[in-house]
Amino acid sequence: MDYEVVIGLEVHVELKTESKLFCSCPNCFVPEPNVNTCPVCLGFPGTLPRLNREAVKLALTASLALNCRIALRSWFDRKNYFYPDIPKGYQISQFYEPIGSRGSLTIEDDLGRPKVIRIGRVHMEEDAGKLIHSPTGDASLVDYNRAGVPLVEIVTEPDLRTPGDARRYLEKLKIILQYAGVSDCKMEEGSLRCDANISLRPSGSETLGSKTELKNMNSFKAVEKSLEHEIKRQRAILKSGKEVISQTLRWEEESQKTIVMRGKLQAHDYRCFADCDLAPIELTAEEVEEARAALPEMAEARAERFVHDYKLPDYDALMLTSSRGLADYFESCLEFYNNPKNVSNWIMGELSARLNSAGIEIESCSFGPEHMAELLRMIDENLISGKIAKDVLEKAFYSGKMPRRIVEEDGLLQISDQSELEGIIEKVIKENPDSVGNYRRGKTKAIGFLVGQVMKETRGKANPKLVNELLVKKIGFK
Amino acid sequence: MEAKRKSAHQLAREIGNGQNTARRLTEEGLKRCKNLNASLNTFTFIAENEALEQAKRVDKMIAAGEELPLAGVPLAVKDDFCCSGLPASLGSAAFKNFVSPYSAAAVEALLEAGCVLIGKTNLDDMGMGSSTLSSPFGPSLNPWSTEYAAGSAGAAAVSSGQCLLSLESDTGGALRLGASHCGIFGLRPTPGRISRYGLSAFSSSFSQAGIAAANPEDIGVALEVLSGFDERDVSTVLCRELPQEKEKDIDPGTITIGVWDGDGDRQSSANRDLISQTGEKFRQGDFKISEISLELFQETLRAYYIVAFAEASSNLSRYDGIRFGEAAAARNLDELYEQSRRCTFGKEARRRSIFGTVLLGKDRFEPYYRQALKIRRLFQEEMARVFKQCDLLLLPVVKNLAPLIGREAGFIDQYEEDYYTAPISLAGLPALSLPAGTIENMPVGLQLVGPPLADDLILKVAAGIAEGLSIPPIAVRPGRDS
Repeated sequence: MDYEVVIGLEVHVELKTESKLFCSCPNCFVPEPNVNTCPVCLGFPGTLPRLNREAVKLALTASLALNCRIALRSWFDRKNYFYPDIPKGYQISQFYEPIGSRGSLTIEDDLGRPKVIRIGRVHMEEDAGKLIHSPTGDASLVDYNRAGVPLVEIVTEPDLRTPGDARRYLEKLKIILQYAGVSDCKMEEGSLRCDANISLRPSGSETLGSKTELKNMNSFKAVEKSLEHEIKRQRAILKSGKEVISQTLRWEEESQKTIVMRGKLQAHDYRCFADCDLAPIELTAEEVEEARAALPEMAEARAERFVHDYKLPDYDALMLTSSRGLADYFESCLEFYNNPKNVSNWIMGELSARLNSAGIEIESCSFGPEHMAELLRMIDENLISGKIAKDVLEKAFYSGKMPRRIVEEDGLLQISDQSELEGIIEKVIKENPDSVGNYRRGKTKAIGFLVGQVMKETRGKANPKLVNELLVKKIGFK
Repeated sequence: MEAKRKSAHQLAREIGNGQNTARRLTEEGLKRCKNLNASLNTFTFIAENEALEQAKRVDKMIAAGEELPLAGVPLAVKDDFCCSGLPASLGSAAFKNFVSPYSAAAVEALLEAGCVLIGKTNLDDMGMGSSTLSSPFGPSLNPWSTEYAAGSAGAAAVSSGQCLLSLESDTGGALRLGASHCGIFGLRPTPGRISRYGLSAFSSSFSQAGIAAANPEDIGVALEVLSGFDERDVSTVLCRELPQEKEKDIDPGTITIGVWDGDGDRQSSANRDLISQTGEKFRQGDFKISEISLELFQETLRAYYIVAFAEASSNLSRYDGIRFGEAAAARNLDELYEQSRRCTFGKEARRRSIFGTVLLGKDRFEPYYRQALKIRRLFQEEMARVFKQCDLLLLPVVKNLAPLIGREAGFIDQYEEDYYTAPISLAGLPALSLPAGTIENMPVGLQLVGPPLADDLILKVAAGIAEGLSIPPIAVRPGRDS
């Protein structure tokens, strides 16, 4: 019997606000514990939550970017449970009426066909603190820096069918939310977290099989891997005629395995009820339409525009719009230097290589659009060769210095002075009689070697086009 | 032997124009408090040093020409309000050593207006009750007769002259019942007029900050100081709707006082007599009187308690021994929660937490919690209709005299004591408890209730008939047994 895989994802995304959801503590990561805290987010007796309107705006934007219906009136509920990482003994969340519902996101399935993934709900809630267990197991410590950080939880319907679907959904979701300016969505840093629900059922069956919940995946790759692992495990259980136990499993990156974290999944009764310390969230239809109109251009539309306006190949447009930061960078460069294809080549080539090896994002790169524009203009003006330009880029990338300054300081200006080059060319001809002979016998490729020798002598500074011309003139048939 | 009672606003004026100093008054007051506290158990903490410091500060500001509406007025604050640097027991023995790092908005405002905070007053277990009998620090005694409980320690403090103003919380009626039991005035204002920030509330919907004093004018001055938008409590956006200009005087002829005594046999003859006497006073004062009937009233006490229990179970969850409450030694997390909550809460807080947890559970949420909210909405609608027939409504405040010390009633009977007060909390209306007479030598009040934001009207109308109503003796009368 063959089985159909059914996957649903619950994604928590940290909203990029200045301050926490219900107090004015900064919403940013700090290494020291319990620094970003105040009586409100520590749940001191008598304190009251105060809603951060910026968070509502971002949640609204996220909901709109995911094609959700917007509740003009929603509210916060209390989810009551005991755990040391929640200071109040309840989490403030939207249980009964989420701000966004019935949205969708289109991905490509394993065969590259478009596939609509339904999004059940997008709701706001506050994050919990972090528990740190001592290695000896005799104590646990709590860090409340993260307590009260605004989150949206985005829940799909069980529409995903393969681990690849799940990965592509997450990639797409990340790009959309980044473009919308809602969140950084860095799974490695915890600003995007994902739990997966997965079950198998006989192909053709309509009822869902018993599911397991996967937690602790800290990369998209890990989500894919853990789902692959879990499919194998569940399939083996079902094939042997046994039943899958509904439970929570934890992905262990080191062993690439899942381990049981919590026993039987039981519907926990959180005793949710409306939080009377907060007023309901009222939105007007005008506010919603304003937010919709203010939605930034999303990746697909931007790629199309790049092809159309800048005459870029599809591939370039797709790569450049793969993150909002990259696309913004590209367009900023064009403000200073209007040769789209050239800019695209250098971003996708040299700059991307540097970013990758340094492991940083384009947003925090000190080689800005002005640097790029100046560098490319110097090549166009024959002041430096493309090869030298790569070295200059590397230096500027790490130092933040302007390319022209690096070229001047390091004496890298291209030698385009004929008289200066002639002496070196004479020398190379004298030292390489064989190549000269080969060339004269019709092996024109030999000229490349000779140009290379001149470049070597000038440490790359010679203008290769001019060298070529001069060499041909000197050793060519008379 | 009975010291003459001055009103808070008179006293502030005397200090303001140099006839008196806050320091002299505070020194005298502290002496008096320490003496009386020994017999009445009014305070959980007397803030001697802080009070003297504040008195000096007030004198300095007055000398510098500043105007303070409550300069030097001795203030008692119920111990469920947080005051920076002072202990806040919240009504739990486990919080005896808890010192708040911040001040409640209402406390801040009163200190800024020149009040001198004398001490924190006693309260029931986690603020749950209106007798002080369930206090972990023992009951506070009634200055009218020490056989009886104070009802509210803050009201006892005002009545016995330990202070002139008392900042109190009122959830189901503690402030109003206490004021009645001690023969003074107590206002539970419209929710949203006074910021709740810093009040440790067991019910987010019902717990409000209120004021007790010996006359309605003092409450008016304090309300003026306390009322206003506070960004830390969203409910105070209501204050933005308040009219800027206030009417100076009222014309009784244009005001109709509704009178309700239609609760059949449940209403005691004593209450009926008080209502008719007070109604007569209003009539003599040229107010119009109109009989009102209420249909849903009998259903509302249960609705109130269902919501209050539900919220208590959640509001008290933070006292789990991790950060707040007694941290008990335990082998695992569940045991820690169980042990520390057992040490932190008294019987009543435990009972309400358990009731609330059960009521919010999935089997009872719809038939109980949701129904209670529905009754609340229907009762609010009924009261809105009532206030189309009259401007204010006069009704009883207590069912019985102040509870006797050492004879604690069963919990259901204790809940019944809120019969007239909790429904007003449920409806979200302002209410003033005003002294109306004595029964068996003990004071009994009545409640003057209005539509939302009618607080100032209530105080003015009460002032119109207050002459001869305020009867609180400052001296303490020992009970017959002592």
